Amino acid sequence: MKRYYFSAAGVLFSMSISAAELPDRQAQLPSVAKEANAQYLMPSPLSSIPKGEFGDKVRKGYQLFVNSQQMRDTYVGNELNCVNCHMNAGNKANASPLWGAYMAYPAYRKKNDKVNSFEERIQGCFTYSMNGKAPESGSEPLVAISAYSYWLVMSGLMNQFGITGPVPEMTDVELLKGGNREDFPLPETVTSKLDQKELTMLPGRGFPKLAKPELAYSVERGEAVYQAHCQTCHADDGQGYKMANVSALPPLWGPQSYNWGAGMHRVNTAANFIYENMPLGKSIQLTVQQAWDVAAFVNAHERPQDPRYKGNVAETQAKYHQHEGFYGKPSSINGPELLGANAYPIFPVSKQSKQ
Amino acid sequence: MDTKNRLKDDCLTSVNSAVLSSIFLCSVMSFSVMANIPDESPKELLQTVPAAAQVCLSCHGVNGEGLGVVGPRLAGLSSEYIAAQVSHFQTGFRQNPTMMAMAMTVQGDNIKVVSDFFAAKPVAEIKLQYRGDKVVIDDIGEKLAYQGDWQRDIPACTSCHGPSGIGAGQFPRLAGQEPTYLKNQLLAWQSGTRKGDVDNMMGSIAKKLTAAEIDALTQYFSAQK
Repeated sequence: MKRYYFSAAGVLFSMSISAAELPDRQAQLPSVAKEANAQYLMPSPLSSIPKGEFGDKVRKGYQLFVNSQQMRDTYVGNELNCVNCHMNAGNKANASPLWGAYMAYPAYRKKNDKVNSFEERIQGCFTYSMNGKAPESGSEPLVAISAYSYWLVMSGLMNQFGITGPVPEMTDVELLKGGNREDFPLPETVTSKLDQKELTMLPGRGFPKLAKPELAYSVERGEAVYQAHCQTCHADDGQGYKMANVSALPPLWGPQSYNWGAGMHRVNTAANFIYENMPLGKSIQLTVQQAWDVAAFVNAHERPQDPRYKGNVAETQAKYHQHEGFYGKPSSINGPELLGANAYPIFPVSKQSKQ
Repeated sequence: MDTKNRLKDDCLTSVNSAVLSSIFLCSVMSFSVMANIPDESPKELLQTVPAAAQVCLSCHGVNGEGLGVVGPRLAGLSSEYIAAQVSHFQTGFRQNPTMMAMAMTVQGDNIKVVSDFFAAKPVAEIKLQYRGDKVVIDDIGEKLAYQGDWQRDIPACTSCHGPSGIGAGQFPRLAGQEPTYLKNQLLAWQSGTRKGDVDNMMGSIAKKLTAAEIDALTQYFSAQK
């Protein structure tokens, strides 16, 4: 177990992302292989969120998470909802649960000695995954999502260690920081059993790291996998299905999906996610090879531009895309043109708001 | 009213005979439907029904509105879903003596004609409920519909069937559907007599549902009208 933490910290610290105007707030956190018989945190049911101001923030966070489209055109620029990738309202182990992420922030970077708070990480989700505009620091959505995340992890830890009573309340300022800090208030029963490093790497955090494929991943093979297993829900054009103006089944590429700066555009991240979480409610239906192939197929399509783009795809590619992804490269699906060259707009005005 | 009931009875009798005998009788039946309907329907209405869809009307209604326990509502379903079901009855993925016989009468291009016809029929607007509108849900059917039960890997029904279960694509509308039909389908998925979903997605969910949950889901979705 311990070895993981050191190698994980190594990956984290060796990241060399420039802190230009837009930091890479979806920098790859270390993903770890899934452990057999892992005990996952079991947060309390929503019905036990307390009445009152603090509870209201927690409830608001839940609501924004499962229906993120209520922030369309204010902070959200595509048709996605947080819950599309973070199953069970951010509560499901191995689907990047909020309770795992909350304890991993603030995260430190050696390179620039900069601290990335939980709030900043959520802002990154809006900028990249939601192709939108980051809510201002300390604003209601960030407080609400932080409060909800905190409530999940704290109630889960209290349940795990048999601590009774309500989840201790925290101020907004404290909530926004995240749980990976020495002054984060935790019951002694918890800190006597788990040290801070263990808390940042709770079992089920992130998407479990998938083994490398036997063959190099292939967009062509991925297309066949897509047609056989994914198309029913995500449609033959990858645009999902809209019902009552909501993309109940989310678009995977194109103008309404995550942009070229989002973590999910990386083939490895998408493969990890798909293998573990797709199809919805079934988990692990594809082979390792199929998961990599279909992740490549999905991410070899054009999508909204990387928000760090300054007019030159090659430069953006060189600076921010030294990883498993198709940005700045051709693909058999997209043709000879480099992906990113015809990217869709960042934070576009939706049709609805024009009317 | 009398005419309507008589029509219904005639059709039911015809349906039964069709099942018991052959496809030939099915066409006789559809003839008898055609002969009966003008008694109560304006001629123009009947003229809008494609010949291939005549066979469906006796159980599903002239507007695909469904006729209670006789036949579920088709209005509100997508054309691609209806077409897939016709083919599922033909291939045995779905089991229903009447529908298996009826589906055989619709072949080739007519499958799309019939599917498009019913898919275009309107359904009443309903008050939509979105995920997150309620945080705490007491009703077990409504809770499964909007939050699922991930301890058992059951996703929220509405994550595929849409807000209030209005459906699209290969995901049928559940809102306002006949309760008996909804319940029978969940039971059929559960027992494996209904198949044809990609990767057994619906089958694996239905197998996890308790009898009480099936009743609650039936109750919840059928009431959304």
